[in-house]
Amino acid sequence: MAGKKSAVPARALPLLPAERQPWGAIIAFLLPAFTIYTALTAYPVFRTLWNSFHTVLPKKEEFIGLANYVTLAQDEIFWRSVKNTFIWACASPLAEVSIALLLALALYAKIPGMRFFRIAWFTPVLMSYVVVGIIWVWIYNYDWGAANAILRVLGLESWARAWIGDPKIALPSLIFITTWMWTGFNMVVLLAALHSLPSEVIEAAELDNCGWGAKLWHIIIPLVKPTLLNLLVLSFIGKMKIFDLVWITTKGGPLWSTETVSTYTYKRAFEWTTFDLGYPSTIAAVWFVFVLAAVLTLTWLFRQRDRLEY
Amino acid sequence: MRVFRIFFSLLLLAFASTAIAQVKLTMWSHWAAEKIKRDFVEDAIKRFEAANPGVKIEASWYEKTALYAALKTALRAGTAPDLFYAEPDQVEYMDNGLLLDLSPLNWSAIEPWAKEIWSYKGKPYGLPLEASTVELYYNKKLIADLGTKVPASLQLDSAALLDLSKKARAKSMTPMALGVGDRPFPGAYLVQEALLKKLGTQDYDNLLKGKLSWSDARVVDTLKLIRSWTDAGLLPTTFTTLKLGEAHSYFHTNPGAVLFLNGSWYTSRAFNPPDKGGQPANFPLGIMKFPAIPGAVCNECRTLSVQGSYVANAATKHPKEAIAFLNSIATPDVANRWLENVLVQTGIKADYAKVGGPHAGYFRELQATGDGSKYYFGAPSQVMQGKPKEVFTQVFNNAFPAGSVSVEEAVKQMNSAYGK
Repeated sequence: MAGKKSAVPARALPLLPAERQPWGAIIAFLLPAFTIYTALTAYPVFRTLWNSFHTVLPKKEEFIGLANYVTLAQDEIFWRSVKNTFIWACASPLAEVSIALLLALALYAKIPGMRFFRIAWFTPVLMSYVVVGIIWVWIYNYDWGAANAILRVLGLESWARAWIGDPKIALPSLIFITTWMWTGFNMVVLLAALHSLPSEVIEAAELDNCGWGAKLWHIIIPLVKPTLLNLLVLSFIGKMKIFDLVWITTKGGPLWSTETVSTYTYKRAFEWTTFDLGYPSTIAAVWFVFVLAAVLTLTWLFRQRDRLEY
Repeated sequence: MRVFRIFFSLLLLAFASTAIAQVKLTMWSHWAAEKIKRDFVEDAIKRFEAANPGVKIEASWYEKTALYAALKTALRAGTAPDLFYAEPDQVEYMDNGLLLDLSPLNWSAIEPWAKEIWSYKGKPYGLPLEASTVELYYNKKLIADLGTKVPASLQLDSAALLDLSKKARAKSMTPMALGVGDRPFPGAYLVQEALLKKLGTQDYDNLLKGKLSWSDARVVDTLKLIRSWTDAGLLPTTFTTLKLGEAHSYFHTNPGAVLFLNGSWYTSRAFNPPDKGGQPANFPLGIMKFPAIPGAVCNECRTLSVQGSYVANAATKHPKEAIAFLNSIATPDVANRWLENVLVQTGIKADYAKVGGPHAGYFRELQATGDGSKYYFGAPSQVMQGKPKEVFTQVFNNAFPAGSVSVEEAVKQMNSAYGK
């Protein structure tokens, strides 16, 4: 009889005060965050999308359907800026993360002067893009910049260039700057990941007479892979939005060779002789979709198929 | 009762004086870094305030790019100042009805061409304070050292310029200081002045407005000529990154260049004290005309453009006072003061013969280069709009003079910008 259900249906008892949902508190806690999110994120995104279907002038707003999107599809400068941004966003993360891994391994192996190198390699990321841009404009100066001065001292005068003045090498020159700037940050994150590796796995490999190369390739890299992938994605997103450095150094020139989507959007919004916010909003909307799609693709590609166990 | 009467009278007086001093005009202006012009405008404000005790003008000073970006946002948000700096190429202000119609201004004191430049759909919108020509400045000592003689006509020909470039390079000197690191126009001076001379005002106007193809043989020949100058090392190796302020210093101080192609507003920086970026004392400054172009229709043609101007916000609550202030500048006396102090032309009618002061000699030389000139009003960046303007800037301000694009590629890019 003990397991037998009672024939009398359970009566719905009123909830005790402690069991009721504390709606007042929930609303009080959520409201500030919700308000800020709505005002500063959701509304601007919605407004940008709205603007992209309109001509938005100070005293006039006119629905124009897909006209801005059609114009954008035929805008050569936009596609040039897309190409530049993609090159930057693909090349830079690979360079930054691979160099950072080597530096982190050097520090992990406790090279002499490691404290100094850790600070020196990390320092660039503490500076703003504005300061970095100004410094590198000096370094890249044709006549007296450090880059050409070093080449001249080494007897490589013919290699001296107007590094950010020549359309053929301006973009690689800027990519070099972001690599210099962000490698230290990636290095510190990777160093933390290396220090958190399980020592027994590495010690077991050493007992098996595993060499440095094999240990790196078969043990260390697989173990820090999630960190590597996160750094790649973060760097990719950062470069897809790059603006400050370009604005300080080249303003997108020469001949659009360093034009990025962000600089072009700014130019269309504030520098072209028009007040229309519709077209720049279209660029922003399209680029938002590009970045989102790229990040989702990367996340899908890099998803961890086999969970590591140790 | 008497005490009350006195008290109320005083109270009324206090209210009345507050009411009189209540009109405050705000003004945003370029020229934060150009002390001579800023001093001139601040002096004009002081004089106006002294003559109009009830009005106060609060001026804020910016550099041009920051000013333009701030104005775009402020005008849209309805928080723009009553008066602000503008240039005639900013047609978007007029297009959107954001400027006050300045018809009530005393236009009889203003040059008709300057009024024309600032007119849009039949109404004038700006007080054309600053006008300028493109001048070829030179260092008299260096040019003499090279053995080049400036002719009485003050105009070298193309061959002489080429010869000068080669001689200067042979002596490890830079023939011409010019840099486009932070401005969208200095590099384009070469192309604009040469094309204007070659084509004459009408065809040049047609070219800028897309009515004449850039494949026209005269255009191609002129571009090839300019390419021969740049191939001879006319420009500094730092041309693409050299900023405007640095180009001034490059010419007159370090390392020094023989020539400097610049707007006649050169003086607003160069005549500052040397420790504030000005040219050294006793610098042997000379001015000549842009070189003659072979086969040109109009070697006496040159560009005259209106730059620094003041406009009033259409939404100002004090249009009367705003116009009164602009009118206080639009007088021959003020124009003469501008010429004497700033040493740049103005769109306000002035008596050039009356210009005195320590730089009167310079002003005579500047006038001499203008003798017999025929003017085209407006720089390409003021005549072109949209994509042609952007392509012209990228190609002819920077890439073409730097040698990064060929004549054929430059022509192709321009034709494509006009949809040809």
